Amino acid sequence: MTLTPETLLPYHAGDLSPDAAARIEAQLAADPQAQALLADWQAQDAALAALYRPIADEPVPLRLTAVLQRAEAQGRPTAPQPAAPWRGRVALAAVLMLGIGLGGGLGWGLRGALPAAPPGADPALAALAAHDTFAVEVVHPVEVPASDAAHLTAWLSKRLGHPIHAPDFAASGFRLMGGRVVPAEGGTAALFLYEDAAGQRVTLYVAPEGSPRETAFRFVERGATQGFWWTDAALSYAVIGTLPRDQLRLIAVEAYRQLI
Amino acid sequence: MTILPQIEAAIPALRRYARALLRDADRADDLVQDCLERAVARRHDWRGEGPVQAWLFRILLNRHRDLIRANPGHLVAVDDLPELAAPAPQDGHLALAEVHRAMGRLPADQRAALLLVAVEGRSFDQAADLLGIPKGTLMSRLARARANLRHQTGRSDASRPDPKNRTNTP
Repeated sequence: MTLTPETLLPYHAGDLSPDAAARIEAQLAADPQAQALLADWQAQDAALAALYRPIADEPVPLRLTAVLQRAEAQGRPTAPQPAAPWRGRVALAAVLMLGIGLGGGLGWGLRGALPAAPPGADPALAALAAHDTFAVEVVHPVEVPASDAAHLTAWLSKRLGHPIHAPDFAASGFRLMGGRVVPAEGGTAALFLYEDAAGQRVTLYVAPEGSPRETAFRFVERGATQGFWWTDAALSYAVIGTLPRDQLRLIAVEAYRQLI
Repeated sequence: MTILPQIEAAIPALRRYARALLRDADRADDLVQDCLERAVARRHDWRGEGPVQAWLFRILLNRHRDLIRANPGHLVAVDDLPELAAPAPQDGHLALAEVHRAMGRLPADQRAALLLVAVEGRSFDQAADLLGIPKGTLMSRLARARANLRHQTGRSDASRPDPKNRTNTP
């Protein structure tokens, strides 16, 4: 075979000028091995097309179109600044004044129908809601920035009523943006917000609701927002985001290790 | 003028590429969803440099690379063969199940390159650009991918085995 695969690839792909293609064709006539190679490549292309092209004709799953619908809803001119911080706070205050727990099914700031919450899932649902409210914030995602680390730790520990520090998720590519407090059923919860280089955000939510027994990781999701939560004697923790489940699990494991 | 409809129009091709690359429908849609979330979040930074679909493919490929780097064990190709009405291959046709299995045994970078060209119909320049590699590197990946496929589907002539498949012979 005088024609090499490297020479034949552009010919096969139609990536050559007519002159160059004609020169290859002249050589091909006397090269049965190259002819066989090209025939096989065509068979490969036909098989790959038959295997994979039909995937594009399948209906698109709702969870994918929902990403765009959410973006569209957020980007409407009538609501250029969705989820301004005071709106979140007012809604939270209203919930608390009514004496209705977040897990009880009041869907402030939540999208879509509420699934039945398993017993004891209140902190997880509150964490989902908190993430959805604050992670979209462009201007004021946090009250105390990570640059003020000592103050952040002291302040959140005091408000939470337990010593707490922000774990480090650098291994997963996320850096601490800062923290804030949010009202929680048993008092005040601490929220740490992290961001990666692509602007994706992850919330670590810590609420003063312990359980007599430590629990395993449990998965929670609502729409595209999902995460893992667990409890120890004093506190409930949740790692929430819109990342793939595996990635969130890694971050949750990291948080568990550093907060133990 | 919003970019959202163009993003939406690209979803079928992104799903096709992700599924053929990862060979697992759920993982593939996770990857596409991740790509869409990123694109939507960064859409205001979009300056119209090239087609929207190419931008989305780049995000998806970057994300895929990150996932492999962060978690190699999680991206082992599994053989969830798409449902096929599989007639016996005729002369000049390859058995689809065999090709699908052979694709699963290709290194991910070869699979990524071959799918861009053979299924997504990208030119060599476009595919090299999407993968962020020189055109020469793309060409050698394609040549290796095709030689591996040929070898594994029993079409390779003994006189020219792919050098990458000769590690067992002295």
